[in-house]
Amino acid sequence: MSALEAVGPSPSSADAARVAADTAAAAIPPGVGTARFVGSDKAYWRLMVRGAVLLLCTLGIYRFWLATDQRRFLWANTEVAGDPLEYTGTAREILVGFLIAIAVLVPIYVGFFIAAMDLGTIGRISGLLAFVLLALFGKFAVYRARRYRLTRTVFRGVRLHQSGSAWLYAFYSLLWLALTFISAGLLYPWAQASLERYKMRHTFYGDAPGRFVGSGTRLFLKGGTLWLVVMGPLLLGLGYAIRGVDWNALADAIGSDNVIGQIESASPNFGPALASLVAALLWSTLAAAVFYPAFQAMTLRWWASGLRFGTMAAKSRLRARQMYRLYFRFVGYALVFALIAGVISTFVFGFAFAVLKAVDNATIVELTQVIGGIISYVVLMLGYSTIYQVTVKLRLWRLSFETVELTGLQELERVRAAGVASSGFGEGLADALDVGGL
Amino acid sequence: MSVDYKTAMVTSGPGIFFDGLTSARHHVSVELEPATLLVRGAEGHLLTRWPYADLEHLSAPDGMLRLGRRGNALLARLEIRDSVLAAAIDELAATVDRTGTIERRSRTRVVAWSLAAVLSLILVGVFGVPAIADRLTPYVPAAVERKFGEAVDAQVRSTLDSGRSGGALVCGAAETEKEGRAALNRLVARLEAAAALSIPIELAVVRQPPANAFALPGGRVYVFEGLINKAQSADEVAAVIAHELGHVAHRDSTRSVIQAAGLSFLFGMVLGDFVGGGAVVMASKALLQTSYSREVERRADAYGIELIAKIGGDPHALGEILTRIDGSNHPGMKLLLDHPDTQDRLAAIKAAPPATGAIPLLSPTEWAALKRICTGR
Repeated sequence: MSALEAVGPSPSSADAARVAADTAAAAIPPGVGTARFVGSDKAYWRLMVRGAVLLLCTLGIYRFWLATDQRRFLWANTEVAGDPLEYTGTAREILVGFLIAIAVLVPIYVGFFIAAMDLGTIGRISGLLAFVLLALFGKFAVYRARRYRLTRTVFRGVRLHQSGSAWLYAFYSLLWLALTFISAGLLYPWAQASLERYKMRHTFYGDAPGRFVGSGTRLFLKGGTLWLVVMGPLLLGLGYAIRGVDWNALADAIGSDNVIGQIESASPNFGPALASLVAALLWSTLAAAVFYPAFQAMTLRWWASGLRFGTMAAKSRLRARQMYRLYFRFVGYALVFALIAGVISTFVFGFAFAVLKAVDNATIVELTQVIGGIISYVVLMLGYSTIYQVTVKLRLWRLSFETVELTGLQELERVRAAGVASSGFGEGLADALDVGGL
Repeated sequence: MSVDYKTAMVTSGPGIFFDGLTSARHHVSVELEPATLLVRGAEGHLLTRWPYADLEHLSAPDGMLRLGRRGNALLARLEIRDSVLAAAIDELAATVDRTGTIERRSRTRVVAWSLAAVLSLILVGVFGVPAIADRLTPYVPAAVERKFGEAVDAQVRSTLDSGRSGGALVCGAAETEKEGRAALNRLVARLEAAAALSIPIELAVVRQPPANAFALPGGRVYVFEGLINKAQSADEVAAVIAHELGHVAHRDSTRSVIQAAGLSFLFGMVLGDFVGGGAVVMASKALLQTSYSREVERRADAYGIELIAKIGGDPHALGEILTRIDGSNHPGMKLLLDHPDTQDRLAAIKAAPPATGAIPLLSPTEWAALKRICTGR
């Protein structure tokens, strides 16, 4: 870390910076660097808490500005090989993109609404059609939003950009989603690798082409044990339940008056089968929760280590225990928040009830109760979301950069600028379809 | 932006420059002239000159001033960590906003406009959506309404039918019920003739205990067995049916579908896309929808009173059956009730002129038969 700080352009004169860079270059092999995050938690807390209050007051309209502020903060405070990133997007662009997305989506929604009224074949399949089409749209939006964010990311005066077809990506990702589901998650590593390869193959930093070298098989071999622990018992339980139950008898029994009695007399194994299924489900849920941070660390490490831009390469050293620490911290903060919220609401509600007792207008009392209830619910939810954003999301961002080692950075002296800024439509569509992320 | 004498004197300092053509990093010295800023490379040669008026202040970490050039197709960047030099540039260039004053002012404007937008959307929800629905409803073709009614009807029937045992769902088919059905048909025919609706009415009594009745799009009306049991005269049953015919005449189901769609769009898409926002959206939708619906019920009451008077029935009969039903219903939250407060409805009904000629709508035998319409299980 200290070597990197020396590389960073912090000294107060150009000469000093050059000297520092030279000494650092002598200490570490050429073209090797790290990344770090210099933003303070306090500043992010301030940004997020203020944002939550404004979200509440504007019923969500402020989200475009909050998202932009968040990204500006995260990008600007992330130094890669000594130089901070820059986010050049504006809230206005996303807002316009959102309005265009609405203009595109409304006729589609209206079309489905009318189709659903129709009693013919179209009406009957319109629900399924709408589901598939919206899922496709969602994936399309994810890809286009990625393009927006990349073209708004500037590093050392050169922007990132993305080519490729968003429709093709949407088609592939739905296909892989279906295959992953059918294979009970076994194909997940190959799905991730394939989609990531598509994305990175079409990603560029200036004229330096990106690519993804992570192998699905590698991830499968690493994660196989986790899959067995989480999914194995569930599949076994499911298999046992399916074999143990006489399905014809069960179908007969469901129509009758005494369902349980019929089932028990027809297939004596039904009790144990049901019990094993419930136990397996319980085990899988618990195991999934316990091992999720380990899984997340593993996939993140695999993903980051597979990223390449020209000759530049990344290698992640992210550890599972760092991920666990992050979630424990969230749980701690959440408990403290619950305690504080409990104490405050006791006082506020106590006071409110005392005041309302004196009021004899039923409508006012009722309105106060309804609005008070909704506001406290929203404050609680926004509070947890803010805590999650700061304790988990921000830390995750920081961790993923700070655990990475970069090589082949000599190329940074000669990457040529290329690519143009894309429209905010993808970002707006992602927002309208609720598939947006950071 | 206050700058003391010492910093205003600074005319040069170190910086890092990216020319926007390649990602190469240049350690440069920045010289401040009265109207432009000069960027010189390590050997003293001029790399670029930027007028202060063109400077763009870009997002950067704490302790760094990052500048770009406005209207420049290249993403050339000048980064300055020297706080004294940064302060001097801030003083010279109006667009540089190191204290964030300009940013804060524009943000306050954004928040103010957003609040205005929320207010305007709420006003549209309260006044605009019902007005638009009123205007649009007459243009929905009867064929569409009928088709929609069929779809809803299938749903309603399966809901009413589930978990119920003994007898067909619709009363009046069994041998002992036929007389009751005939009496009901006579009653409905008189109401229909007086109402002169553009679509035929299909009325059915269903074997369900609650004292209730409702109309679906396309002229279907359901009356529950519980209501027939509660009624003490043919006029009371007729009054309830007349009220439902009011909904049919006003095309209230179609209107409410348009209103619900409008509200979903307004609150679901434009607003509320944040954690916990779903609750706000649902609550405001429920409040607005029930307030529309209370208005609709008031109009249906008025229509029903007029209709019952037209066929020579007792306009106050609706009030009598409402009072009887209300006693058995649980008091709920007034704001979330889709029907107006019974006291308000009763007051409006009492205000109607009383019956003029007291000819009973059904003969005593017919009335007795109607009361037995659901007994032949």
